[in-house]
Amino acid sequence: MKALIEKLTNVFSPSGFEDAIRDVIRKEIKGFADEIRVDALGNLIAHKNPSAGAKGAKRVMVAAHMDEIGLMVTHVDENGFVRFSNVGGVFGRYAPSGRVRFTNGAAGVINNELLSNFRETPPLDKMFIDVGATSQKDCPVKLGDVAAFERPFLDLGKRVVAKSLDDRLGVAVLIETMRRLKSRSERVEGAAPNEVYFVFTAQEEVGTRGAGPAAYGIDPDVAIAVDVTPTGDTPMGRKMEVALGGGPAIKIKDQGMLADPRVVSWMAKTAERSKIPYQREVLIMGSTDARAIQVTRAGIAAGGISIPARYVHSPSEMVDMDDVENSVRLLAALLNSKVSL
Amino acid sequence: MTDIVPFLKSLVSVSGLSAYESPVARLIEETWKPLVDEVSVSRLGSLHGLKKGRAKSPLALRPSAHPSIMIATHMDAIGLIVTQVIDGFIHLEAIGGIDPRILPGTPVIVHGRQDLPGVVVMPPMKTLPEDQRDGAIGLPHLLADVGLLPSKVTSLVRVGDLVSFDTQPVDLAGETLSGHSLDNRASVAALTVCLQELQGKSHVWDVWAVATSQEEVTLGGSATSAFDLHPDLAVVVDVTFGKGPGANGWETFPLGEGPTLGWGANLHPFLYKKFKELADRLEIPVAMELVPLHSGTDAYSIQAAREGIPTMLLEIPMRYMHTPVEVISIKDVQRVGRLLSEFISGLQLDFISTIVWEEEAQE
Repeated sequence: MKALIEKLTNVFSPSGFEDAIRDVIRKEIKGFADEIRVDALGNLIAHKNPSAGAKGAKRVMVAAHMDEIGLMVTHVDENGFVRFSNVGGVFGRYAPSGRVRFTNGAAGVINNELLSNFRETPPLDKMFIDVGATSQKDCPVKLGDVAAFERPFLDLGKRVVAKSLDDRLGVAVLIETMRRLKSRSERVEGAAPNEVYFVFTAQEEVGTRGAGPAAYGIDPDVAIAVDVTPTGDTPMGRKMEVALGGGPAIKIKDQGMLADPRVVSWMAKTAERSKIPYQREVLIMGSTDARAIQVTRAGIAAGGISIPARYVHSPSEMVDMDDVENSVRLLAALLNSKVSL
Repeated sequence: MTDIVPFLKSLVSVSGLSAYESPVARLIEETWKPLVDEVSVSRLGSLHGLKKGRAKSPLALRPSAHPSIMIATHMDAIGLIVTQVIDGFIHLEAIGGIDPRILPGTPVIVHGRQDLPGVVVMPPMKTLPEDQRDGAIGLPHLLADVGLLPSKVTSLVRVGDLVSFDTQPVDLAGETLSGHSLDNRASVAALTVCLQELQGKSHVWDVWAVATSQEEVTLGGSATSAFDLHPDLAVVVDVTFGKGPGANGWETFPLGEGPTLGWGANLHPFLYKKFKELADRLEIPVAMELVPLHSGTDAYSIQAAREGIPTMLLEIPMRYMHTPVEVISIKDVQRVGRLLSEFISGLQLDFISTIVWEEEAQE
């Protein structure tokens, strides 16, 4: 699992420019779905058990977004310094001295104009990327090129640190679940497998744009977004119960939605029956693909499995491998259970 | 006319927070059942009541269907949700727009493994961060106290449990009513008045009476019901700002002097005109409510559902919106009910084809 997470987080693919990560995922899931396609927004959709729907089983959509936050070049000056705008929620305080990698392979470091008060966080428009160029002419990037933060994967044993665990970790959980569903051993006795769409969504970080159209096309009975959620377990941290290592968090509320109460109860009961530890999530800031899915068409029962993560939207996000494993177990158990809402 | 007050009081005596509307939905269903032909629940928990029209509809937009009008009134209420339980005290976050200034001292019900009566309290000043000691205390510092020992609270109350207001409705003088969740259950009552009046009237169009879910958080109930029901027209009923202490601007309206008719891009001007003409003919007082941008109501999601739905907005003036002591005038509720029923019974089969834009009307 760690190798897969490292591989996925080493790809640079910001919102709207998901080609690189889509290619990697497509290779990883080859042979684990009945049909794989890409829709008009660039969502990668893997369909499993297409005939199950006909037998009365539910159609379940599982979404994890494959895009990541990043930067776009807005100007290159005569000395080759690159100005940029954010793609998604880039926090200024994490940016200076960060390293970035462009989708064309070029690299650079972020720094900022000299400020009168060096203690304050500069706004992004006072920052620039130094790509080692000396002029506009020898600058390896041009207007419109995009980059993502670069930070090596760090293995701390039980816990790992990487950039874009939001939400390549969700992607990894979906891939691993697809693989395990292949083997009968993970199937709950007597339960009919459901028709499942694994969707690797585009453009989540710029307003959950990919998931809605994907859900419109699929029209599922129930949907689960797998994403990361911040924790409240750091020194003088946020007021929140979710902690690293406490198990996957079942979403009840976030800033963008209230999860469907029937989905919350289905998840909690399944976790209890399968003896999987879980937490209950009430998140004050942030939302996931589930909010866009919920209000699609005539409404879709939607909820979320949130994997606890510290330092979300920084280049060094941290997660616990037990939570990862238990998220896979919970998702697999849900997909193998009889869905009765 | 049946007295709507007892029903309205029952509506504001139950919970039914956004996404958890079933307690209030059950009450509405019970009352609507004898007034409509079919009742169903949407995938997001909105209640759909269908009162069938008299005629088939060769002239409707979609000839296979009856022409139909959707009347949307949201039934969900704002409230609170448990974020943490520490030392037997319950920490809170808002569901919908809550002004924390009014919370200390408010009676609530904590919907834990069992319903627990509680009160919202503020901790002693000296325990608060320095910037919180003067003036109103922010929601992150307020607590709910259910009176039990910490171990008992921990076993009964979990993160994500709901906390709803428990203030009782109070009859004020001059046929006004005070209570929580009158936003927007006053409008549900108005729609119920409409359905009662339609019992004695003939109407050509199908009527979808809809009590929508999740308006206070995402407008998700109305967006999905509009998609599902695919009506030809929609009217949304909600509440608007009443004139009161410190509230006297162009966006406020006096209680008891009639509902407002919405005017602006979010609403269809032809429907405004028709409602205004009808109100004048019936001698029902109405005020023009300027809605330059987002109406902040279900009308916003319904208007742009599917291929677009001509949508109108009627609003009931209310004082102290989003507090546990909202105040409305019963007369305004009845007027909205009457206006709706007269509009519906006056809808001819070809009404849709009569909708014209200003420049077309001048030709």
